[in-house]
Formats: sequence, C-alpha cells, structure tokens
Amino acid sequence: MTAHQDDTGGLDRRRLLARAALGGATVVGATALGGIDADAAFAAPQSPLDPAITKSSFVEGRITGISGSVLEIAGSYGDRSRIRMTNATSVWKVRPTTAEVIEIGDGLYARGVEMPDGTVAADAVWVNIVNLHTTIRGIEKKRLHLAHGHHELTGNVIADTTSASYAGRAPTADLSRLRIGQSAQVLGAWRPSDDSVDVVRVSVGH
Amino acid sequence: MACGSTSLWAGETSWFCCGNAWGPCNGAGGGACGNCQSSANHGAWPNASQACWDITRPDLCGENIPRRGCGSVMNVKHQCSGATVCITITDCGPRTKEWCGETACCNGTCRTNRVLDLTPAAYSALGDLSSGKLPVYIYE
Amino acid sequence: MLATTSSLAPVVLAVLLGWTGAWKLFGSRVVQQAPKTALARMLRSSERAALVLRGTALVELVLAAGLLAFPAYPLPGVATALLGAGFTGYLGYGLVIAPESSCGCTASEAAPVTWRSFARAGVVLAGGTAAATSSTAWWVTVVERPATSLALLAVGAAGLVVLSVDPDRWWLLPLRRTRLRVFGHPLAGKAAGERVPVAATVELLENSLAWQAASPVVRSGLLDHWEEAGWRFLLYSGVHEDASRGEGDGDGEGGARPVSVVFALDATASRDTAGAPAARVGVVDADTGRPVPVDLTAVRPREVLPVAG
Repeated sequence: MTAHQDDTGGLDRRRLLARAALGGATVVGATALGGIDADAAFAAPQSPLDPAITKSSFVEGRITGISGSVLEIAGSYGDRSRIRMTNATSVWKVRPTTAEVIEIGDGLYARGVEMPDGTVAADAVWVNIVNLHTTIRGIEKKRLHLAHGHHELTGNVIADTTSASYAGRAPTADLSRLRIGQSAQVLGAWRPSDDSVDVVRVSVGH
Repeated sequence: MACGSTSLWAGETSWFCCGNAWGPCNGAGGGACGNCQSSANHGAWPNASQACWDITRPDLCGENIPRRGCGSVMNVKHQCSGATVCITITDCGPRTKEWCGETACCNGTCRTNRVLDLTPAAYSALGDLSSGKLPVYIYE
Repeated sequence: MLATTSSLAPVVLAVLLGWTGAWKLFGSRVVQQAPKTALARMLRSSERAALVLRGTALVELVLAAGLLAFPAYPLPGVATALLGAGFTGYLGYGLVIAPESSCGCTASEAAPVTWRSFARAGVVLAGGTAAATSSTAWWVTVVERPATSLALLAVGAAGLVVLSVDPDRWWLLPLRRTRLRVFGHPLAGKAAGERVPVAATVELLENSLAWQAASPVVRSGLLDHWEEAGWRFLLYSGVHEDASRGEGDGDGEGGARPVSVVFALDATASRDTAGAPAARVGVVDADTGRPVPVDLTAVRPREVLPVAG
C-alpha cells in the first residue's frame, strides 16, 4: 500500500497544495458566500436526490487478512467483506495516518462505495476507534483508570496526542483539570493486545 | 415506514457502538431494544421509554424531548454539510443531563445539548467518526 | 497468636463466603452477569454457568454456616480449603482462556479477573487450612481474649474490604483524590496552552462556513496535516462533479474527477479564540495537480441515499 506522500515528491506536493489553498477562495463569515441560512434550510423542503451519486456503503468488523491494498474483514455477525484502499482513502488509527499501521486483528469501521467486483472502495477507514461513556477512577502520569459500565478500563495517555475538552470547549493539551469521579466521554483507539484504550480525546462536562 | 421531512428536534449527536462488536462497547447485547447493531443505521433516543427518560433526563437541560419508542424512524441531517441519513431508534441514550450546555456549531449557528446518539454506520454517513459530535436537525 | 488467628479464621471466612454466596444465590443479576464470566466460556453455555454459579453459592452458604456452627470439627475447614484451591485453579484457567471475562465471584461485579480475585481465593484456601487446624471454638476465643479478637477481626474485615471491588467508592476513590491533592496532579504541566492540538483545528474547520461550502466535494476523513508559516493545512480527498461534463472515466460517473481538497487555517486559532475563522480552500486535481476552479456557491449539498436496514 502506498503512503500518502513518498520521500521524494512529498515536500513538493505539500508546497503545491499549500499554494493552491492560499491562492484559493478565502471563506470568512457570511459575506463571502452571501450567507447560508441554516435555520431556513431546516424548514425548507429537501432537495431532490441526485441519481448520479452512488450509494455509500459501511463495513464493520475485524481485519483477518491484508493482501496488497485489499483488507479482508470478518464482520461481527459472521459476514465477510473486502475493502480496497487507495491513495484517496483516509486512515485513522489514534491519529490521521497511513495504511502501513493497519495490523491483522485490528477492529475497523469503513465508509466507501461498493464496486462492481464486490469490494468496497474506501473513502475513510477508522481503525480500532471507540467512543465510550466512562467514569474517571484514577489518574496517573501515563494512564487513566476508567470505569466503563461495570468493567475497569485502562486509558493510555499519549504524549502530543491526548487532548481534553472541558465543558464543551475546544480540545486542549492541558489535562490537569481532569478530576476523579467525573463522567468522561473517551474517544480513543482500542489496543487489541491488552484491551486498553489509547485516549485521543476525553470530554468532561461540568 | 418512510423517513420524512417533518421537523422533530435539533441538537447535537454523538456516536456509540452496540450489538456484537470488537473492542469495548457500551450497548453490548443489542441495546435497550434488543436489536441494535453498529453496522446498521440505528440510533439511541433519550425518551425511548419512561425507564429511559429516568436515566437521560433531558428536561434537566431544558429539552422536553417527546417520546419516540423503539422502532421509530427518523431522518437526521448534518447542519453544516446537509448530508442526511435515515435511522431507526434501537436504544436509549445519550445521557443528556451530563452534558447540559454543550454546543456544536457551524458558522456561528449552534446546536446545544446531546439529544441523539448514532451507530457508527449512521454517524459516518454524516461526518468523521473521529470528531465525536455533530450539530444535527432531526425530522420524522 | 497463631492459635487465636486460626480460631477466628472461621468468622472471617464465614463473612466472605456468606456474602459471595448470598449475592450469587439471591442476587437478581446472576443471569445477566453469567455470560460475561470465564465459567460461561469454559462450559460454553450461559445457562449452565448460571446454574453452576448458583450451585457454588449454595455450597458457600452451607460452608459458612458450618464454619460458624462447628468450629471444632476439621471438616468445614478442609472443605473450605478445597473450595479455595478450586477457586484458584478456576481463576488461573479462566485467565488463560478468557482474559477479559469476569470471574463471577460475587456476580455483582463484572470486573475482569485481577490479583484481587486470586488474593480472595488464596484467603479462602489459607483460611480454610487454618480453620481445619484450629481446635478452639471462636466464641471461646472471643470471650477469653476480647481485645485481641476484636483487633484481629478488624484486620480481617479491612482485608476483605480491600480485596473486594464493590466498596471501592467509599475508600479507594477518596484516597486517590487525597493523594492527588497532596502530591499534585500527575498530568499538570503537560504543554499547557501553547500548542493548539490538530483536533482543535479540525473542529474549527468543521464549524466554519468553508466546510459547509466545500464538504459536498470532500469524501474522505482527514488524510494529512502540516504546518507552515503560521498556517495549518488540512488535506482531504474528494470527488468533483464537473457540470461541464468533461471526459468521463467510463465508470458511469460522468464528469466526476478525483480531487484533493486542502484547507488552510490559522495554526493558533481554535473555537475558543477565533470568532469567524478565516479559512482558505484550494481544490486540486488529484492526478495532474492543477487547481480545479470550483465555484463553492454552486456546490449542491449531496444527499446520502438511505441504506436499507
């Protein structure tokens, strides 16, 4: 599977994209586009379905095989699927990354388009992603002890990645305001090897 | 059961997993309605039953969400992108009372309070699972 | 001292076995928790697991009564020691075949098998042996040496509390909170405030008008991100449907071509700091790298077809 940028062309490609972005349309506020009134859109009749748009497909399950750019998936209800990865497929495993980090045994959700050959050409793939409602029961330098339902769950704090959102504010790298006993929504990546979770974002309410 | 365009509610949605699943999963065993599946376009409603209401208490955030039981069909539309997905209610959730006042906005227009939870299949039809929450309009 | 401990062991054991036995026999959640136990995995059936749990509960209650009523006889002690050995074996086997399952020990905790479960089993084994070797009735010891008995029983009770998961919220969590207050928060001082996480920039983008306008073109999640000269660039891939019906790919999509969509935002801005974020959008042909002139106002929101089921 190819990386999103190879060593030689990577920097040039980024410069090209940066130039396109900075030279492209600047969209700020409502003035540039004459305003899209969201609430009016709420009440307005739905636009007719465009027949040219293909049906979007969803796949879930565990990865049982990797052959070239195709992932073999065993679904949780006994179904089997094959997912085709392309240069345009985004891969999430703890962070936006490339397909090399995908391992057999990982869990996966994927969104894509069903191809005539039966595979699903993926737009976006999320590996081991979980979004759990937990309670914080212990805080350590590298770990959070969480209660998930009646289970104990270990949340790993990942340097430069774990962020916290307090009372709905923007994610911040400052984790020092987490408190024991708080209800926390944990978005993270499950580690199949030891059943712990790499915490990517912990959101606490009040 | 058509998934229509009569406006029902608006707010934030998050996502959760249910049914048979890899990894840790909240709604293991099919959720409150017994037939919830992560790979289907299902969702959780805070007022799916009286027992459900007692857990989620959306009224504590000022949301007097109407009762819509298991099997109710809704059309969920992402406020920002306009993408929509039709879902069936198969579980009870989210715990609205724990997130009062939380907002998800889109160019200045905000939706407040978590009023819906979607399965990964339904949520990914609207947005990126790694963002965690989205502002939505809900129709039936 | 040993003799005193041995004679009081039946009391502590009876409390432990009585508690776990009562929970399993009379508790309403046995049937719910049974499928999650290692026992269910071993027997390959939750119904059989629930039955075995109830059966074990009955044995525990009988032994608890026996330990209290017949302290001079070695039989209850020996039986308890055997039970403890059996527990340890089951836990070990369970840990090997189903590490994430719960032990089903009290049927109210579905916590995975940890050192505490083994310690409890060890207590049953050791306590049973001690009870079997004791020749003095526990009530005699309590009457003869009340202070020592009370102290030993208190230690025993404290030990049971530490080894059980349920009472945690009354002592373990407050203890951890106090430790945090005394020794400081372990996660304090980690890059407080300067660097805005990428997640915050993505959130800012998703809240912006730029996203509203461009998202019908975007199909993927975040592909890549980098920073340059104070800008943070977020890269996505997408499909641009050409209204002018250019060369089709022959795959039935007409004038649709794969594009890269790149957004540029202020690297230091987040939802809390920026009012209306100034986001720049560039759309580039994925194959040729040439900019695609996309009129964002003309982009129609795409409807996702309802997927059956």
